Amino acid sequence: MGLDTGTHTLGPGDGTLTVLTGKGGAAAKAGHNLVIEVTRWSAKVEVGEGISMALMADPRSLRVVDGSGGISPLGDEEKEGIKQTIDDEVLKGLPIRFRSSAVNPAGSRLDVQGELELMRVRHPIEFALNIADDGRLTGSAMVKQTDWKMKPFSALFGTLKVADVVEVTIDALIPAVSPVAERHG
Amino acid sequence: MVELDHSFSTGKSPEYNWEAILDLDRIIPCVEGGKVIERESPKLAKAEIKVKMGAMSMTFRGTVEVVERDDDAHRAVLQVKSKDVGGQGYANADVAFTLSDGGGDIHTAAQINGKAASMGEGVVFSVLDALINDFTTKLAKI
Repeated sequence: MGLDTGTHTLGPGDGTLTVLTGKGGAAAKAGHNLVIEVTRWSAKVEVGEGISMALMADPRSLRVVDGSGGISPLGDEEKEGIKQTIDDEVLKGLPIRFRSSAVNPAGSRLDVQGELELMRVRHPIEFALNIADDGRLTGSAMVKQTDWKMKPFSALFGTLKVADVVEVTIDALIPAVSPVAERHG
Repeated sequence: MVELDHSFSTGKSPEYNWEAILDLDRIIPCVEGGKVIERESPKLAKAEIKVKMGAMSMTFRGTVEVVERDDDAHRAVLQVKSKDVGGQGYANADVAFTLSDGGGDIHTAAQINGKAASMGEGVVFSVLDALINDFTTKLAKI
């Protein structure tokens, strides 16, 4: 793992943060598996004696980029409708924050433990990331909505539901240590 | 053809319930997403139902008509004939109400085709079952 000591700051210009949702319920066939991109986020990877990570995502910046399944394809109007539903009924504009409590490197792999705040509820979460030699960071975390006291979105009188567990993936190129962080480091 | 049976309870007299279920202006909005477009006669209304499926929705537009009515037995059949707006499908149903003291039974025989039916009969059954269950809870407050 080739990360320089200091603070690496990254955001949408460096890669993508994506939420993948599945579906369930008796009428699951009517729904779509969604690929939702978080378009405004920022993360910090601090490398010193140890490694720490933090991420903030704008809950109103989610944008549906793809949907598969369903009885007909998702059009732009439906994608915009889902974004509105996320804003109004799911995330409600409340802060999304993650901060690590332990990051354990094992070769190119980082085992991350920390706390994620969603809907004003903080809950522990664990996931693994991979950092390639060229600084490319990839990995995913499984977020079980009910662990954060969220009720997965449902429609059709409860016969069509968003699956409780959603997958959050990151694929980004970690930039060099930011000059500002170096000065203060 | 999908057939379903449900019961409902209002706690009100059969006479009250009888009047309520025959009043299309009152009963059609008890279906989630349902509304009367035009009341053509006491026993016939143009109506539509918008079924929301998350991001997608389907609108069915057509008529609801009281096609059978037995005042002594407090039994009536409402016939729904509707077409999928913007699609080729249709949703028709005969909904038979048989009232008893404080409530009643509903027998629904529905025929759905087009996009909605493409989900499979099991899915159609589950959704209709959930829709009618929701309808019965709204009937309880009619």
